[in-house]
Amino acid sequence: MPLFLTAARLTAALAALSLAAAPVVAAAQATAAPRGYPVVRPGIAFRFPADHGAHPAYRTEWWYATGWLRTADGHDLGFQITFFRVRPKAGATPARSRFAPTQLMFAHAALSDPATGRLLHGERAARAGFGLAGARIGDADVTIRDWRLRRLPDGRFVVRAAAPGFTLDLTLRPTQPPLAQGLNGYSRKGARPAEASYYYSLPHLAVTGAVTRQGRRAPVTGQAWLDREWSSDYLAPGAAGWDWTGLNLDDGGALMAFRIRGKDGRTMWAGGSLRHPDGTIERFTPADVHFRPLGWWTSRATGARYPVAQELSVRLRAGIRRFRLTPLFAAQELDARGSGLPVYWEGAVRTQGGRGYLELTGYQAPLAM
Amino acid sequence: MAEPGVVSARLALGWLIAGEWRAHPARFLLTALAIAVGVALGFAVHLINGSALASFDGAVRGVNGAADLAVRATSPLGFDERAYPRLSLAPGVADASPVVSLPAQANGARFTLLGLDAIRAAAVTPSLIGAQARGPDASTDALFDDDGLFLSRTTLAAAHAKTGDTITVAANGRRVRLRIIGLLPAVAEGQAIGVIDIAAAQESFGRLGRLDRLDLRLADAAAARAALPDLLPAGSVIASPDTVAQQGESLSRAYRVNLDMLALVALLTGGFLVYSAQSLSVARRLRAFALLRTLGLPRSGIVTAVAVEGLAIGLVGAGVGLAAGYGLASVALRWFGGDLGGGYFRGDAGLAFQPLAAAGFLGLGLAAALLGSILPARAAARAAPAAALKASGDPVDPRARVPWKPAVALLAAGGVAALLPPIAALPLFGFAGIALLLAGGIAGMPWLARRLLGPWARRNIASVPRLLAIRHLHGAPGAAATALCGMVASTALMIAMATMVTSFRGAVDEWLGEVLAADLYLRAEGGAGFDPATQARLAATPGVSALAFSRQLPLTIRADRAPLTLIARPLTGPSARLLVPVGRPIAVPPGAIAVWVSEPAQRLYGWNPGEAIRLPVAGNARFVVAGIWRDYARQAGAVVIDAAAYTRITGDATRDEAAATLAPGARADAVGRGMRARLPAGLRDAVSLAEPSTLRSFALDLFDRSFAVTYLLEAVAILVGLAGVAATISAQTVARSREFGMLRHLGVSKRQLTAMLAQEGALLGLVGAVAGVLLGGVVSQVLIHVVNPQSFNFTMETRVPVGTVLGVIAALVAAAAATAVIAGRRATAADAVLAVREDW
Amino acid sequence: MSALLAVRGLAKSVPGLRQLFAGLDLAVGAGELVAIVGESGVGKSTLLNIIAGLDEADAGEVRIAGDLLGPLDEAARTRLRRERIGFVFQAFHILPYLTLRQNVGLPVALVSPDPVAANARAEAMLARVGLGDRGDGYARDLSGGELQRVAIARALVHRPALILADEPTGNLDPDTAARVLALFADAVREGGAAAVIVTHSEATAAVADRVLTLTPHGLVETHG
Repeated sequence: MPLFLTAARLTAALAALSLAAAPVVAAAQATAAPRGYPVVRPGIAFRFPADHGAHPAYRTEWWYATGWLRTADGHDLGFQITFFRVRPKAGATPARSRFAPTQLMFAHAALSDPATGRLLHGERAARAGFGLAGARIGDADVTIRDWRLRRLPDGRFVVRAAAPGFTLDLTLRPTQPPLAQGLNGYSRKGARPAEASYYYSLPHLAVTGAVTRQGRRAPVTGQAWLDREWSSDYLAPGAAGWDWTGLNLDDGGALMAFRIRGKDGRTMWAGGSLRHPDGTIERFTPADVHFRPLGWWTSRATGARYPVAQELSVRLRAGIRRFRLTPLFAAQELDARGSGLPVYWEGAVRTQGGRGYLELTGYQAPLAM
Repeated sequence: MAEPGVVSARLALGWLIAGEWRAHPARFLLTALAIAVGVALGFAVHLINGSALASFDGAVRGVNGAADLAVRATSPLGFDERAYPRLSLAPGVADASPVVSLPAQANGARFTLLGLDAIRAAAVTPSLIGAQARGPDASTDALFDDDGLFLSRTTLAAAHAKTGDTITVAANGRRVRLRIIGLLPAVAEGQAIGVIDIAAAQESFGRLGRLDRLDLRLADAAAARAALPDLLPAGSVIASPDTVAQQGESLSRAYRVNLDMLALVALLTGGFLVYSAQSLSVARRLRAFALLRTLGLPRSGIVTAVAVEGLAIGLVGAGVGLAAGYGLASVALRWFGGDLGGGYFRGDAGLAFQPLAAAGFLGLGLAAALLGSILPARAAARAAPAAALKASGDPVDPRARVPWKPAVALLAAGGVAALLPPIAALPLFGFAGIALLLAGGIAGMPWLARRLLGPWARRNIASVPRLLAIRHLHGAPGAAATALCGMVASTALMIAMATMVTSFRGAVDEWLGEVLAADLYLRAEGGAGFDPATQARLAATPGVSALAFSRQLPLTIRADRAPLTLIARPLTGPSARLLVPVGRPIAVPPGAIAVWVSEPAQRLYGWNPGEAIRLPVAGNARFVVAGIWRDYARQAGAVVIDAAAYTRITGDATRDEAAATLAPGARADAVGRGMRARLPAGLRDAVSLAEPSTLRSFALDLFDRSFAVTYLLEAVAILVGLAGVAATISAQTVARSREFGMLRHLGVSKRQLTAMLAQEGALLGLVGAVAGVLLGGVVSQVLIHVVNPQSFNFTMETRVPVGTVLGVIAALVAAAAATAVIAGRRATAADAVLAVREDW
Repeated sequence: MSALLAVRGLAKSVPGLRQLFAGLDLAVGAGELVAIVGESGVGKSTLLNIIAGLDEADAGEVRIAGDLLGPLDEAARTRLRRERIGFVFQAFHILPYLTLRQNVGLPVALVSPDPVAANARAEAMLARVGLGDRGDGYARDLSGGELQRVAIARALVHRPALILADEPTGNLDPDTAARVLALFADAVREGGAAAVIVTHSEATAAVADRVLTLTPHGLVETHG
C-alpha cells in the first residue's frame, strides 16, 4: 500500500525543491478535492498490458517493486525500486514549450544489506520530456535518465537503477496473474468513496539479475512484489501515518494488509487481501485487519521509535490467522531529509511461511500534519 | 680596527633625529603626508577595483548558481533546446539543468530573469531554488505555475514589491504579469535575480525552442570535457564559472591596471618628495654629521640615522595612507560605484579589506620613504668630515660637468622597453618603459636646467636680482633637480595622460561625426525589437526618405572573453558609408559572407582582411573578413555583416535599431512623433528616439565620465608634486638666509631679494614645466601607441592639448615663484639679516 | 670736523635684559682706521649693525658723511648702504655660483645698470687685491685668505665712504691675516674712506690708527 507514502513522499520532494516544509501540509489539504482530474470509481476492469502502462490523466501513479534477493554465496538482501508519475496541473491550456511540466517523474531505490546493517538509497526526479524522463502509455516503460523500469514483450519486467553505492540490474518474471486489490481494483483508502485508487499487485515475481556494490557485481536471485496504483485523491485529512505490508507466502499465497493511523494513534482505516495458492481471494474490511507491535527499535539518527516487529492478524474465512513480521535487520530506516524526503522505515521482513516488506510511516513526525 | 658600532651610538643618533624633528616638525609631517597620499590613492584604487571585481564575480557566480560547467549560448539568440538530452547524457555528465536567461526589468528594478526547471536546478544549481512563502493558499504546484516568480531579496527591494504581489516583468520585448510567490534565500545579498519556471519563461517571453544555458553537474570532469565539444549545438560554447568571471575581468583589467599605475605615480611622486626633503635636511646637517664623524660616529651611523628617519616617515605616512585609502575607497564606492565611472560593472559593490594588498602598499610606502632617505644620506656619508666642517656652505662648483649619460641610457632603455609586446594582454613593458623614461627624464634634469639657462648665464645681465637668480640655478642645477624631480614626474604623466585623453577624445569625436551620419535614430530597449511588419510601417512614415534597420547582438567567441557585438545592418545603400574603414577593403570570394571587423576585434582575435573566420551564429556559414573599420564604442570588439545575410543564416528578422535619413524639409521631431505613433502600443514605451547631436553629447559625456577618476588621480599627483616643489624651495630658500643677509648688507633691498626669489622660482618652475612637458610628450607617445592599443585595442592619432600644456606650465611657474617668494619673506626677515655672522 | 662717521650719545640695551652700552660717542675721519675691541657679548657687532642701519639704537644719533641715519626709512637706509658703506665679514660670504668678478662687481651692479662698467671696476679692484687674473674663477678655487681679499675688493669696489669689518681675519691663520689686514689698511687709506673694524685680535688692532675698547659706558681710548 505504498500509495500514502507516495503522496507524502512526492509532496515532500516538491517541498524540498522549494526549501520549505510547510507546503507539504498545505498541498495535502489543498489537493484533497482536486479539480480537473478523473475520479477513481468502482466498476472498472483492468486490461493488460495497457494498464501496465501510464494513465497520465490521473494525478499520481506508481510502479512499486520490493523484494528479497539472495547472492550466490547465500546472503540475503532486501531491495526496493519505485517510479512515480505525477500530473501537477489539470485543465491547463495546452503547452507549447517542450519543458511544460505536464508530467513529473520521481524514482526511489534502496538496498538493505544485513551484512552491513545499513540501508543504501538513491533518488531521481525529472519533468517528463526530451526522452530523458517519461512513462509510456500502453505498456510499462518508465524512465528517468539512466533509471528505467519496463515490461518486455514476454511479460518480464526489467529494472535498472544506479544510486550512490549500489546499482540494481534486475529482471522480474511474473509467476502468477495480476492480483486486483479492493473491489476488482477499486481500492478504498478512507471513509469517503473518492479516497481510493486503482490498485493491482504482481506478487511472486521471480527475480534474476545482479547487484553491484563498490564496483563489484554480484549475481542475485530472489522473489519480488510489484504494486501498481493510480489515483487522483490521496490521503484523508487527519491521518498521521500508516503501516503496510506485502508478503509472498511460501505456499504461493500473497498477503497484503495496511492500516492508516490517526494522530491519536488509532486505526482510521484498514484493508488488504489474501490470495490463496489456488487463486481464491479473500478481501479484508477495516475490521478484519489488526497490527500489534511486538518489538520496537529506536533510531539514534532521528529519535523515531518504530514497531519493526509486529503481529499482523487477519480475519479469514477459516478464522483469524496471525503473522509475526520479523525484520531482516532493525536499522532499515530511511532518513533522507537531506534530499527532502520524510523519515520512514521501509524494510524487508520475514514471517512464518513467507517473506515480504513492511512500511512504517509517520513515526518520526506525523506525515501530513 | 673596526669602526665603532652604530648600535653603541644609538643614543647620539636618537638625539640627532629627535633634535631634527623638534626643529622641523612641519617638514616631517609634510613628507609623511606625501607618502600617505600616495599610499592612500594606490590602496583605495586597488580596494575599489578588488571590491568591484569581487561583486562582479559574485554576481556572475550568483546568476550561474555555481554549476561545475555550463554550455552557454554565444548570443542572445540562444541555442537549440534539442541539444539538452544529448548533452545531459554525455559521458561524465551527472546531471544537466536547462536555463533560459533574460535581462529583465520590473518596477524599475533590473535583474536577470532565469527560467529554470526546479527539479534539475535542485540537483545542479541548488542556490537558484526559490523558497515559497508560507500561506494558506500556497501550493507546491505553484512551483510549476506559469506566473509564479521567485525574486532575490535585492530585486524584491529594488522593485518595491513584497511576496504575494503581482508585478509586470518586461523582458525580451514582452511584458508579463507575474506573481511573486517567494524568495531566493540562497542568492547572496546584492544580486539581482528572478526565477520562473523554464516552460513559462519560454512561452511568456518568446523563447520557445531556445535555451541560453545548460548548467552541468559533472561526475567525471575529464570525460565531460573530452566529450562535450563534439556535442555542442551551434551557437554555444563551454564555460566554467572561472571563464565567465574572466569575461568581466578581462574586459576591465586594462582599465584597472591603468588606474593602479596612476595611483602608483602618486606614490612615486611622494617618494621623490621624501628624497627632496631628506636631501635638503641632510645638506643642512652636513656639518653636524661631519662633527659627529669627527667625534667618532661611523659612516654607516649617518646613513642609519637618516634611514631611521625615513622609516619613521614611511611608517607614519603609510599607516595614515592605508586608513585614508580605506576611507577613500568606501566613499568612492558610494559615489562613483565599483568601476569608478568606467562603466564596466553595474550594481553595488561591498568594500572588502584586503590584507595582502594593505601589506603591499605599506611596503611600497616604506620603500619610497627609505629609498628617498638613504640615497642622500649615502652621499652625505661619503663627504670627508674635515672638508665638510670647514666649508661655509654647499660646495657648489658652477663649472662642474653635469652628467648626461645615465639619463640618455635610461631614456634609451625606456624607448626599447616600450617597443616590446604585451604580456598577458597587459602593456607591462609599456609601463616599464614609462617608468624608465621618467627616471631618465629626472636624471637629465640638471643637464636640461644647465642647457636651458646656459645662454642667459653667459650673457651680461644688468639686473642684479635676475643675475643672481639665473646664476644660482645655472650654477647649482642639482639643487633645482632635487626640488623638481617629483614635480617633473607628475607633470610628465599629467601631460602624457592629457595628451592621450585629448587624442582619444578627439578621435572619438571625429569618429562620432562620421558614424552618426543619419538624421534620427531609433532604438528598442530591453530586448524589444521591430518585427518586419513594424519595420515596414516605420519606413513608410512621412518625411522618412530612407530607414536602415540593424540588429546588435552580443556574441561570445571565447568563453573567457567578453562577448563582441555582432551588428547586422544593410551594407548596400546609403547606410554603408556609416562604417569608418581602416585600410582598403578586399573582395570576398563568392559564397562567403563578408564580415567587417572592428579594430579591437581585429587585435583581439587576430582577424585580418581576407581571412576566413568562424562566427558562432547558427549554421555553418562561411565568413570572410572584407575589411577593418574603426570603432571606439565597443572595447570587446564588433563585427558587421549584411542584414540580409544575417536573416538568411539565423532566421532572425527582428531589428532593434534604425537610422533614418529624412526627406528634405522634414523636421526630425515631427518625423519622430510620426514614427512613434506607428509603433505597436506595447513597443511605444520601449523605443527611444534620438538625434545625432544628442547621441554625440551622450557618448562624449560617457567618455568624460569614464576618465573623470583618471583626471582626479592626475590632479592629486600634481598637487603632491607641487607640495614637493613648495617644500623644497622653501627649505632651500631658508637654507640660504645667510646669503640673503650678506646681500642685504651690500644694499640689496628686500624688494630686490623678493624679485630675485620670484624670478628664481619662476625659472625653476619653467625648467620643471619644460622638462615635464618634453617628457610627457614622449610618455604620451608610449601611452597612445603602446599602452592604449595593448590595453584597449584602440588606435588613434596624437592631438596635443595645447591649453592644458600652457595651463600646466603657467601653474607651475606661478606656484614655484609664489612659493619662493613666500619662503623668501622668512629668509629675509630682520634677524635673518643678522645671520651673516652665524657660523651655523 | 668733517668726520665721515659721527656717532653721538648712542645707547642700546638687549630688550628686557641688560644695557649693552650708553652715551657712546665715536668720530672717524677720512682715511682713518679705527679698531673696536672688547669682551665677548659686550655689543661690538650690535654697534656695527646700528651704524649700518640694520639695527635701531635706543638713543643717540649716527651720521654718515654728514647725513643723519635716524630719520631715514628702510629704502633710504638700503640706498645708503648700497652707495656709502662697504662690508667685510668674518665668513667672507662669497657667493659660490657667481664668478669672482661678479661677486666683486655686485655693489656696482646694484647702483648702475651697466654691466661693462661693473666688470671693469671689479676687474680693477681684483687687481688691486692681487687677484687680477682670477676674475673668471669661482669661490671654490680660493683659499680663505684669497676669499677675504675678494671680500675686501667687494667692500671697496663702489668707493664707499664707510667700511665696516666684523672680525675680518677671524677665519684666517696669523700670517695670512697679517697680509690681508695690511692690504685692507692700505686700500682704506688709499680710497680715503673711514673704516671701523670690530675684532678680538690684538694683531688686527695693531694696524689701526686708534684702538677703542667698548665698555658699558662707551668707548675708551686704549692708546693714541
